[in-house]
Amino acid sequence: MAEISVENLKVVYRGVILALQGVSMRARAGEAIALLGPNGAGKSTLVRAISGLLPQYDGRILDGKIVINGQETNHLPALKVAELGLTAILEGRPIFRYLTVLENLRAAGHKLTPQRQKELTEEIFARFPRIYERRFEQGGYLSGGEQQMLLLGMALLTEPRILVVDEPSLGLSPKLTDEVMRVLDELRREKGLTLVLVEQNARAAFSIVERVYVVEQGRVVFEGTAQEAQADADVMEFYLGGAVAGGFAEAKRYRRRKRWV
Amino acid sequence: MDLALVIQTAINGVANGALYAVIAAGFVLVYRATSVVNFAIAEFLLIGAYLTYTMSLFFPLLVALLLALPLAFAFGVLVERGFVRPLLGRNVVAVIMATIGLAATLDGASLLIWGPDQKAMGAADVSQLPKEMPNLAFSLGGVFLSSKAVWSLVLALPLTILLILALRYSRYGVLLRAVSESETAALAMGIHAPRVVAVTWGISAVMATIGGAFLAGAAGGGGPGHHLILLGLIVFPVAILGGFDSVPGALVAGLIIGFIEAFSQLYLESLLPGITQAIPFLIVLLVLLFRPYGLLGQHRIERV
Repeated sequence: MAEISVENLKVVYRGVILALQGVSMRARAGEAIALLGPNGAGKSTLVRAISGLLPQYDGRILDGKIVINGQETNHLPALKVAELGLTAILEGRPIFRYLTVLENLRAAGHKLTPQRQKELTEEIFARFPRIYERRFEQGGYLSGGEQQMLLLGMALLTEPRILVVDEPSLGLSPKLTDEVMRVLDELRREKGLTLVLVEQNARAAFSIVERVYVVEQGRVVFEGTAQEAQADADVMEFYLGGAVAGGFAEAKRYRRRKRWV
Repeated sequence: MDLALVIQTAINGVANGALYAVIAAGFVLVYRATSVVNFAIAEFLLIGAYLTYTMSLFFPLLVALLLALPLAFAFGVLVERGFVRPLLGRNVVAVIMATIGLAATLDGASLLIWGPDQKAMGAADVSQLPKEMPNLAFSLGGVFLSSKAVWSLVLALPLTILLILALRYSRYGVLLRAVSESETAALAMGIHAPRVVAVTWGISAVMATIGGAFLAGAAGGGGPGHHLILLGLIVFPVAILGGFDSVPGALVAGLIIGFIEAFSQLYLESLLPGITQAIPFLIVLLVLLFRPYGLLGQHRIERV
């Protein structure tokens, strides 16, 4: 059982900035969900909250509950959350830039036995041949796509049950984005992971998740299956922008502003 | 010019430099791991020397030094827990001010505990003979090496090299470098960053103790006293010449400065009394002007 649920979560930064105003969501064991929404919606805050990293950002949970595998984790430090089998890949591709690729993998897999670490590293190299080719180079010199692959490899070395990925498509070409999504989907199915994918690129996310939450201004404004989301005209208009039937040519220059209640 | 004298000066200088290197390496290690400039490093050295002194009242000096090391480690961890950790994430200046305050506090505390007068290792008062490490001094073909020089070459130098190798190849070294880059990213990967940082401070205090004990006459020379704080300031020129965030840089820079000091003492001191003490700081001036990242400092990775 590797599931995570969030109930009515409220988070403030520096004691005053309310970033989440009561978010609820849930990913069942083995399920893949996506959190969609524009910049500043609070998606990354949610990622920080569930991975226990809020204190690093001077943030605090005001109210609500985070439950991982039946255990409440509101005030658990990041290390304890990691021990529950949750690994988060934070936004902005936080590899260790001055460590070589191999050292990055070693750092991520430091808890494993050498034997297991070797096995998994070989598996990662087989999956990402580009990473193998550049294994002695410093992480900072990899391309964006390679860094994302390296991060996925590092996440695998922590042997997660729940994987949270924050904006893997950021700054990647559409082709690379598709590639990253394909790999995520493969990994999830092979390892039986519970996947929480945070994205702005809704179309990419739809291809690999079962359910979708749309977040805006710290609230969940839509919840449903990927099909329902794609069938919902409002969600499509506000969160899929150019992908509305007809494409950019027919997109209104000034969109009506819809209020979600 | 007397060749034997030149060789002797060179080796003794390098040996003295190894003591600078071992202290600076610990100092740089802390800077790398936490971006904290520990202005209390000279007091670390002083406390380390005094701990060795206190132990030496009861044990032979070698044993005393070995016993002082775990105490120094605990002291380093304590400083991290008490003064540094609560301030992490705050303004860097706040942490720097805290280490300056810590320096003053330790300074005063050591005066209270051990008194203002210079001690001799292993001697509770002047009537007792000072203890020393087993005498390793020897003379070969007119080149005389003091016991202190031999001890630092066989102890401080290998220890610094060991630290460099461990940092580069060991599991803990990789974790330390990971934490030094981003504590948040390290935490996200399940790395116990607070423990790594605490261990770093502990190691730094241990290295300072080894350097401090020998600078304070564990193998001959003056005993532990407050002059060590002035002596400890040498760490800053060494670290800056080495590149401030590079442990190998600290080693190379320590040896260079020790070497230059020795020759300055030999040839320049008679012409310009006091020049030897000024030379390391002249070097700092030149380094900052012409090579601000030092000998082996890290160049930023910028991917365009």
